[in-house]
Amino acid sequence: MATMTTTTPPTYTQREPGQRETTSPRDLAERGMRNLAPRVDIYEAEKAYVLLADMPGVLPDGLDVVAEHDELIIRGRVERPATTPDYQEFEPANYYRAFTLTEDLDTDGITAKLRDGVLRVEIPKSARMQPKKIQVRME
Amino acid sequence: MDMRSLTDPWQEMRRLQGEMEHLFTELTPSWRWPLTGQYPPVNITRSDTGITLEALCPGVARESFDIQVVGDSLTLRGERKPEPDVPEDRYYRRERPMGPFTRTLSVGEALNPDQTEATYANGILRVQLARAPEATPKKIPVKS
Repeated sequence: MATMTTTTPPTYTQREPGQRETTSPRDLAERGMRNLAPRVDIYEAEKAYVLLADMPGVLPDGLDVVAEHDELIIRGRVERPATTPDYQEFEPANYYRAFTLTEDLDTDGITAKLRDGVLRVEIPKSARMQPKKIQVRME
Repeated sequence: MDMRSLTDPWQEMRRLQGEMEHLFTELTPSWRWPLTGQYPPVNITRSDTGITLEALCPGVARESFDIQVVGDSLTLRGERKPEPDVPEDRYYRRERPMGPFTRTLSVGEALNPDQTEATYANGILRVQLARAPEATPKKIPVKS
């Protein structure tokens, strides 16, 4: 059988430098897969904070986004493949990461969407945090 | 007293600097990871019918995918585009790698470019490669 050759030596690169492995919450550890902290971008829009997380391989029904008290937890489960690849650079891993929210966010209005392995969470700012136009009265 | 610090006064500085960089990457991972070198990571599975390659690349603009097969090599091109119209100073964290990528892999077997199929789902690109007729394994019966 022919052997695999690549331009660079094989390495496990799903966990890249700077990406940490997270401590396993019980429900995920039981499945015997590693947990990775997904890489995120967080930015502030006019009326909401937007969080984008890379979670490739997660299907919508394997995704959990929970906002409880002052914590936002994102969790993704990945199906274990039936066969082991002949050449492997990434291993299937579940995702877990928790964030602390400030009180000024509207946890009831949080929305989450998953598209092409990217989770998008929008956390609306509470009414008093949104920019308000102040009328100037002429006297 | 440590004699090394007498002979090389910069050694301690370098050591401290190394520790600081480590700390910063742990505590504030708000830097961009460039899409260079081995991106995207791939898994390859061989079977009698063909070769399946899976590449882990979430959030790639579909129209940016460019997959080419020449000889025994496969080249993957694509681009991860950042959110439109978000100024740099609005970001609290930027950990996700962005930008164009190119990766060429040699699978070590002649391929048939006309029978290559690719799908993109859940952030994983799956390329089904077919062997060229001359590279297709043939079962040899053993005569008694």
